Amino acid sequence: MTKARDLSQIPNATLAFRNRIINGDCRIDQRNAGASVTITNTGANTYTLDRWFAYGSAASKFSVQQDAGAVTPPTGFTDYLGVTSLAATSVGSSDQYVIGHFIEGFNSADLAWGTANAATVTMSFWVRSSLTGTFGGVLRNSGFNRSYPFSYTINAANTWEQKSITIVGDTAGTWLTTNGVGIGIYFGLGVGSSLSGTAGSWSGSNFTSVTGATSVVGTNGATFYITGVQLEKGSTATSFDYRPYGTELALCQRYFYSLDRLAGQTTNFAVGTCYGNDWIYIASGNRHPVEMRAVPTVSTVSTFRVEDAYSTSWTVSQVTASTSTRNIFNPSIQLTTTAPAGRLVYLQATSDSSRLNFSSEL
Amino acid sequence: MQYKLVSNHRNEIVCIVSSDGKSIPFDPANSDYQAYLAWVAEGNEPLPAETE
Repeated sequence: MTKARDLSQIPNATLAFRNRIINGDCRIDQRNAGASVTITNTGANTYTLDRWFAYGSAASKFSVQQDAGAVTPPTGFTDYLGVTSLAATSVGSSDQYVIGHFIEGFNSADLAWGTANAATVTMSFWVRSSLTGTFGGVLRNSGFNRSYPFSYTINAANTWEQKSITIVGDTAGTWLTTNGVGIGIYFGLGVGSSLSGTAGSWSGSNFTSVTGATSVVGTNGATFYITGVQLEKGSTATSFDYRPYGTELALCQRYFYSLDRLAGQTTNFAVGTCYGNDWIYIASGNRHPVEMRAVPTVSTVSTFRVEDAYSTSWTVSQVTASTSTRNIFNPSIQLTTTAPAGRLVYLQATSDSSRLNFSSEL
Repeated sequence: MQYKLVSNHRNEIVCIVSSDGKSIPFDPANSDYQAYLAWVAEGNEPLPAETE
């Protein structure tokens, strides 16, 4: 086959950013570095591996971990997202247990969904479960009023299988083309009847899975592993769009990044000036690694301090977003005690586990 | 979830802190801020900021 003919196998698509899923190969796990996360927050999505969230209507029914179970990934992949059921959970009609991924509107705008020119897309992925049968998921808009349920069959237990689903673009509804949610992709792990629809067509309802799909959370210890997730323009699933690690990390950092110190070393995250009370303003204008999707929420893991040039230190009580922007980290820092006015101090982690997290997830 | 306003040394409200320790900016595109606005729309009120 000539190169020209080979390229012709990628219909209606571009070669750049062919896969609209970021971290579809599950390589990047900035938040947890491979540690297991039990999904306990029933009020909001919990982000696990980069760009991948989980949600459960009841707490502690399943966990998510990069490379859970330590099985060999499909050829060509080094990592996967692993779900483990932590109980035999009965799923109520309005309950839902899902993992998902939000594509930012800027990255799906060219699909022209919600117009007469809506483009067809194809989603492909590798999946492995301890259960067999019909499984489901959906593509959904940000307003929760356009859903496309899809189904796929896992034929053999504990065996990687590649699936491909072609979806005709939605010509109706509102699909954001900005920095909001463009397309939401959900994989059902146990979804109630009122949130489940018929596979293969667009609906004006809010669904997150397919009627009659297998419930992963219904079996204690059941597993559901997925990787190589790709959503691309066109009606053909092409080979996975491998991107350089640095490129993929930067794509992830638009939504989340973390600062930590070199193990055992003193690392100055920022420099600021004391006001003579318990506040310090950091005006050093540290730039985020990339422009973030929105002004990020700031949170800390473990503890921080500020220290002056004479090694006098004060404990930090909170690091606030303050005047930070999508480009610059300019926090105000509150101390537990007063520090001398005009003193130049450095923001430092107090342990190797101390982290400053910046999140602008969808 | 509970929220508290945070003021700086000038007593300017600079952000919101949630009970799980997140510092949330006043950016309409920030999903944590959107959740805060939804919480307020339900009739809830944040705790006031401490003043210097």
